[in-house]
Amino acid sequence: MAPTPESKKYNPRLHVGLLEERVTNVSSTDFPGHYPDEDHSWDLTKFKKRLQVKIQKLSARSIEFDLVGVDASIANALRRILIAEVPTIAIEYVYVWNNTSVMVDEVFSHRLGMIPLNVDPALLEMKENSSDQATDRNTIVFKLQIECTRNNSAPRDSTDSAVLYINSEVLAAHLQWVPQGEQAEVFAARPPAPTIPEIVLIKLRPGQAIEMEMHAVKGLGKEHAKFSPVATASYRLLPHIILDDANPVPSHLADRFRDCFSPRVINVDPRTKKVSVDKRGVRGETMSREVLRHPDLAKFVKLARVRDHFIFNVESEGPYEPQRLPLEAIRVMREKISVLKSAAEALRALGDPEGDIQMADT
Amino acid sequence: MSQPTPKIRIMPGAQTDLSAATYQIDNETHTLGNALRWMLMKNPKVEFCGYSAPHPSESHIQIRIQMYDNLSSLTALVRALDDLDSLFESIEDAYKASLEHDNIAVWDEGR
Amino acid sequence: MNQQGPPNSAAPAPLLPPPRQEMEYLCADCGAKNEIKPREPIRCRECGHRIMYKKRTKRMVQFEAR
Repeated sequence: MAPTPESKKYNPRLHVGLLEERVTNVSSTDFPGHYPDEDHSWDLTKFKKRLQVKIQKLSARSIEFDLVGVDASIANALRRILIAEVPTIAIEYVYVWNNTSVMVDEVFSHRLGMIPLNVDPALLEMKENSSDQATDRNTIVFKLQIECTRNNSAPRDSTDSAVLYINSEVLAAHLQWVPQGEQAEVFAARPPAPTIPEIVLIKLRPGQAIEMEMHAVKGLGKEHAKFSPVATASYRLLPHIILDDANPVPSHLADRFRDCFSPRVINVDPRTKKVSVDKRGVRGETMSREVLRHPDLAKFVKLARVRDHFIFNVESEGPYEPQRLPLEAIRVMREKISVLKSAAEALRALGDPEGDIQMADT
Repeated sequence: MSQPTPKIRIMPGAQTDLSAATYQIDNETHTLGNALRWMLMKNPKVEFCGYSAPHPSESHIQIRIQMYDNLSSLTALVRALDDLDSLFESIEDAYKASLEHDNIAVWDEGR
Repeated sequence: MNQQGPPNSAAPAPLLPPPRQEMEYLCADCGAKNEIKPREPIRCRECGHRIMYKKRTKRMVQFEAR
């Protein structure tokens, strides 16, 4: 029992099978009572033994990490929190004094809301109500005051609007932060600004001007997508390609076999033409199932995925460094758990000693 | 009317000893619902556990728990929450350890 | 109908002309500033175009960035 995850053979407890037109063994079965005489009750020590977290790739904007040994419901909770419940700061209110550009105020306001800002959400409080007073603890103020004019020193034969006019494009970098109260000190290390300065917000022509003030607040992605800290947060299951040692791919088919998979997934020994699966490269397999379309090749291979091996891919779009995002998601999840736990304990304490319980009316 | 919605309440129809009950949890979604359901199902004393989000425009979920041996489902719920917290704590620890000790391939995305 | 002046001012008080605001319009063709006066054709004095735009309000307008 307890087959190792690396077990090469197809194991319905560990693997999700991929056939030409269907998937098999999709759901997990590791519950008490599912298999007679087997104990599948929750055991933290066993869980920790199987659990494996490994960060694979890291850049300034994205992270790829493996989460092994958890159920899909746990991995999915993390993914959902990353998208919808890790807080960020975004522009929420726009006060327009002047806008003679070709874009109407509503549309331009919407565009302003979508600009990712570099403000660390830990430094701001959430406004519980939209009617709450704006203070230096919950609001960041930006100003935009810009007018397009002719560039008198432009060469006469020029046709480029960037040369002909001054301020022909309004960029995210044109937003000016207006510190309020104690903000000048609190945000001294990293003054609030858009994370990407070169976003074009609108194009202007001579005579057109914009003057507005913006209030940015803290919010959650479930309220509006502009508050989501990620561009993508997704996971996929580790591909598992099973070759049969007793029935190897014949050497004259080796190259065709390799070409049915993504690059670097299948190795063909240049001398012996022996086919093997590349342990690193197999993560990159797209699972196109191309090999199953060729009857002469399909009989040498089984395709599967490892059910509890999640390859996460997270791209940060806001103030968080990518490696910090999963930790924030876990923090939010544990916060949820502790809030519900104290509510449930209070409910349990309410039940009076006779065993009478308080039920909701409706 | 103006009373704040409780975070958790017991829906009508529960057994008086709470051996079978449906709980309504306010302001939660599949995020917590499915994870909690999974952890409750890991308890051998739980006969049945399922959850639903009854309507997409109402921000609550309902979770049904039925117990063997007339045990309290509320106690099982609290225990599942404890276990779920320790699960996420160990993920957190393992993640931090990987961040600190693993040899991570750092690459430049060009921006 | 909107009534100018305070209500119940039916008695013809000394008829002061209401404080005349500059009502400037912009020509749709050349962008020149124009005044529109009663009983006068609406016509740009620069180019003769007959379409005018009203100027944007000077008041602040609030929007939600959504």
